[in-house]
Amino acid sequence: MSDANLLLAVSGMLFALGLVGVVVRRNLLVMLMFLELMLNGVLLSLAVFTQLLGAEAGAVLMFLVFVVAAAEIAIAVPIVLLLVRAGRTLDPGSYAGLKG
Amino acid sequence: MGVAVTIETVFFGIFSLGALAGAVAMFFLRHPMRVALALIGTMLSLAAIYAQLGLHVIAVFQVLIYVGAVMVFMIYAIMLLDVRDRSFTERFSPLLVAGLAGLLLLVGVLVDGLLRGEPVVTPVIREDVFSVGTFAAVFMDEFWVYFALAAVLLLVAEIAASAVIDIRRRGEDLAAARREKLDE
Amino acid sequence: MDGMLTLLVLLPLAGFLLNGLLGRRLGTGFVNVVGVGLPFLAFGVALWAWRTLEAGDGAPIVETVFTWAVVGEYSFEVAFYLDRLSAVMALIVTGVGALIHLYSIGYMKGDEGYARYFAYLNLFLFFMLLLVLGRSLLVLFVGWEGVGLASYLLIGFWFQDAAKARAGRKAFITNRVGDAGFLLGMFLVFTFAGTLEMDRINEAFAAGLIPVGVATAAGILLFIGATGKSAQIPLHVWLPDAMAGPTPVSALIHAATMVTAGVYLVARLSGVYLEAPAASTLIAVIGVLTAFLAATIALVQTDIKKVLAYSTISQLGFMFLALGVGAYGVAVFHLFTHAFFKAALFLGAGSVIHALNGEQDIRRMGGLARRIPWTFGTFAIATAAIAGLPPLAGFFSKDEILWFAIASGEGGALWLWALGSLTALLTALYMFRLLWLVFLGHSRMEPETERHVHESPVTMTSVLVVLAAFSVIAGWFALPQYLEPLLALPEVRFAWGGWHLLQVIFAVLLALLGLAGAAWLYRDGGRPADELWQRFRRLHRVLAGKYFVDEFYDRALQRPWRWVSDRVFLRLGDRLLIDGSLHGLAALARWSAAAFARVQSGSLHWYAWMTLFGLVAVLIWVWRYV
Repeated sequence: MSDANLLLAVSGMLFALGLVGVVVRRNLLVMLMFLELMLNGVLLSLAVFTQLLGAEAGAVLMFLVFVVAAAEIAIAVPIVLLLVRAGRTLDPGSYAGLKG
Repeated sequence: MGVAVTIETVFFGIFSLGALAGAVAMFFLRHPMRVALALIGTMLSLAAIYAQLGLHVIAVFQVLIYVGAVMVFMIYAIMLLDVRDRSFTERFSPLLVAGLAGLLLLVGVLVDGLLRGEPVVTPVIREDVFSVGTFAAVFMDEFWVYFALAAVLLLVAEIAASAVIDIRRRGEDLAAARREKLDE
Repeated sequence: MDGMLTLLVLLPLAGFLLNGLLGRRLGTGFVNVVGVGLPFLAFGVALWAWRTLEAGDGAPIVETVFTWAVVGEYSFEVAFYLDRLSAVMALIVTGVGALIHLYSIGYMKGDEGYARYFAYLNLFLFFMLLLVLGRSLLVLFVGWEGVGLASYLLIGFWFQDAAKARAGRKAFITNRVGDAGFLLGMFLVFTFAGTLEMDRINEAFAAGLIPVGVATAAGILLFIGATGKSAQIPLHVWLPDAMAGPTPVSALIHAATMVTAGVYLVARLSGVYLEAPAASTLIAVIGVLTAFLAATIALVQTDIKKVLAYSTISQLGFMFLALGVGAYGVAVFHLFTHAFFKAALFLGAGSVIHALNGEQDIRRMGGLARRIPWTFGTFAIATAAIAGLPPLAGFFSKDEILWFAIASGEGGALWLWALGSLTALLTALYMFRLLWLVFLGHSRMEPETERHVHESPVTMTSVLVVLAAFSVIAGWFALPQYLEPLLALPEVRFAWGGWHLLQVIFAVLLALLGLAGAAWLYRDGGRPADELWQRFRRLHRVLAGKYFVDEFYDRALQRPWRWVSDRVFLRLGDRLLIDGSLHGLAALARWSAAAFARVQSGSLHWYAWMTLFGLVAVLIWVWRYV
C-alpha cells in the first residue's frame, strides 16, 4: 500500500467519521465541528491529488475552500448563538418545530 | 511488492494516526471544549501531512485559517454558550445505533471502493512547484478573479454575521421590554 | 319556372323563423298573418307547381338547389323532384296543413306558447315538404328526421306536464328504432344501386341487375323505418300517446301527413318492392294485422282522441296492405281520402273538446248533436266517410284496397281480404260507436261542463265544413288511374269483372252492418254493449289494455336495460371503475404524502442520517454501474 492510498483512506475515514458524528452527537456546536472535520477529510484527498498531478490550481482551490470554511463558520456560529438565546438549549431536537 | 518502508511512509502513518485519533476522540468527549481541542489536534496532524507532501503554503494556511481563525472563533462560541443542558448530559442523539450502522456501511463502501480502484502512484515531492513565490505568482496571474470573489464572500459573511448579531440585540431589547411589561 | 319548388319549401321555413324569432314580441296579429298566411301561400305555390306539372304532361320537374357533397365519383345534391306522386303529397300537405293552421287560431287562442306553436307547426310543414319533394333519399331523410323533431316538439308542447313531455320522448325514441332500419336500408341501397336519388334507384332495381336477396333486405329495412314513422306493429305504441299534443297537431301530424310518410316512402320506392315479393308480403301481413288489431283496440277506448289514434293506425294498416299487394296508387288514394276525413274527425274531436272545456272521456259526453250542430254535421259526414258508406271518400279507396287484397296478381290472398273486410266492419262499428256516444243519446256530462257547452268560432267550423266537403268528394278523383303512369296497378287475377261489383256490394253491406250494430249496441249510452262485454270480460281487459304491448316492452326491454344501466354502467362502470380509480389515485397520493411528510420530522440528526444513507447509495450505484 502506497502513501497516496494510505492518505486517501485516511481522508475517507475522516469524512465518514465527520458525517456519522453529525448524526450521533447531540450538541449543536459539536455537530458544527464535525462538519469541519468532514471538510478537512475532503481537503486531504484534494491535497493528495494536487500533489500527484503537480497542479497549482489544486492549491488555489484549497485556499479558496479555507476561505469558504471561514465564511461558513462566521455565519453559523452567530446563528447558533441566536438559537440558544431563543431556546436556551444546544439540543437540535428542541428545534424540530422549526420544520414549518 | 516488497516495497521498503521509507521514512516518509512512517511519518505519514504517524500523522494519519494522529488525525484519526483526534477524530475518534471527538466522538466520546463530553465537553465541547475538549472536542474542539481534539479537532485542533486533527487539524495540526493534517497540516503536518500537507507540509510533508510539499504543500507548505497550504500547511501554513491550515494552521493560520483553520486553527487560528475558525477554531478560535468556535472556542469563543463555546465559552460564550457554556450551557449545561441535555446536549451536555446526554452526549448521543437517539440515532446513535443507526448512525454507527451507517458508519459501518459507509466505511465498508469506501474500503470496497478503494480496494477496487487502481493503486495510486506514490507522490513525487517537488519542492519548487509549490513554493510560496510560485503560489503567489499563479494566484495573482491566473486566479485573481477567484481571489476577488473570495474576498467578496468574506465581506458578505462579515456583514451577515453582524446583521445576525444585530437581530439578536433587537430580540433582546424586545424580550427585555416584554419582561418589563410582565413585571408591571 | 325555376325556383318554384324551392320557394314552396322555403315559405314555411320563413314562417318558422319569423314566428320563432319575432312572434312573441310582435303579438298574435303578426303570428296569425305569418303563421297562417304563409302556409296558404305555400298551398297556392303547390297548386301552381301542379299546374306547371300538368302543362308539361306529367314530366317530372327537377330543381337542384346546391351540391351537398362530392365524394369520389358520387355527388350528393339537394334537389327537389316533382312528379304526380309528390305533387299529390305536396297538395295534401299544404292544403290540409293550411286549413289546420287556420283552425289552430281558434283552438290555441290565449295559449301562452301561441307564437311557439305556430313556429313549430310551420317548421313541421317545412320538413314535411322537404320529405315529400326531396329527390335523394338523403334529403328525404333530413325531412324524415325533421318531422320527427317537429312531432316531438309538438307532442310535448305542454311540456310542463310530465306525462306529455314523456309522450314526446316516447315518440322520438320509438322512431329512432325505425330510423336505424331506414339508415341501414339506405346504406344497402347505395351500396348496390350506387345512387340515393329515388328515381334512379327505381330504375336501377327495375333493370333487374340487383339480386332479389338484396332487394328483399333493403325493402325490409326501409319498411322498418316506415313502421316507425307510420306506427305499424311493432312500433305503433307511440302514436296513441302522441295524442298528448294539441288536437290540431294530432290532426295534421299524427293523422293526415307525417304518419303517412312511411306509405309515401314505400310507394316512392315501389321499384325496389316490385323486385322483392317477400318484403311486399311482409308489408301486406304487417299492414292487415295492424289494421285489425288497432281496430279491435279502438272498439273499447274511452278517450275520444285515443279512438281516433287507433283508427289512424288501423287506416295506415289498410294503406300498407294495399302497398303489400302491389297497389301503390290505391294506397296513395287512401292516403289522400284519409287525410281529409281523418283531419275532419280530429278537428271535430278538437271542437268537441273545446266545447266541453277539455273533457276527452266519451263516457261523459252524449247528446251533443243539438248543442254543437256544425261540429256534429261535419263529424257525421267524416264518420260515414271512414266507415265506407257510398258515395263518400272512404268508400272508394277502401273498396279498392279490399278488391286488390284478394284480386291482386302480386300477393293477393283470400285471408288478407277476409281480415281486411272484418276490419272494415269493425271500423264502421267503432266509428259509429264514437258518433253515438258523443253526439247522440242522453247527456252524461257534468252539469258544470254542460252549462258552458258552446259551438266553436267560425275559423274552426269553416275548416270543418271544408274538410267535410272534401271527405265527400275526395273519392271522386280517380287517383289510382291518375298515378298509373308512375305507379302501375297490379294485374287482376280474376277474369270476370263482376266479382268487383259483388265485392263493392259486400263492402257497403259491411259498412251498413257496422252502422246498424253501433246504433243497436250504443243506444242509451252504450248499455247494451256494456252488457255484452260483461260476458267477455277477459277479452275486454285485453283490448282495453291494448294487448299489453307497452307492458311487454317494459318487461322485455326497459327493465333489463335499466338493470344493466344500473348495475353494469352505473355501479360497476361509473362508480366502481371510474370513480373508484380516481378516488384510489387520490387516496394513494394522500397516503404517500402522509408517508413522505413523516420524513420531514424537523430533526437534524435524522436529516443527516438520510444524507449518509443517500451517499452510500450513490457511491454503490456509481461504482457498480457507471
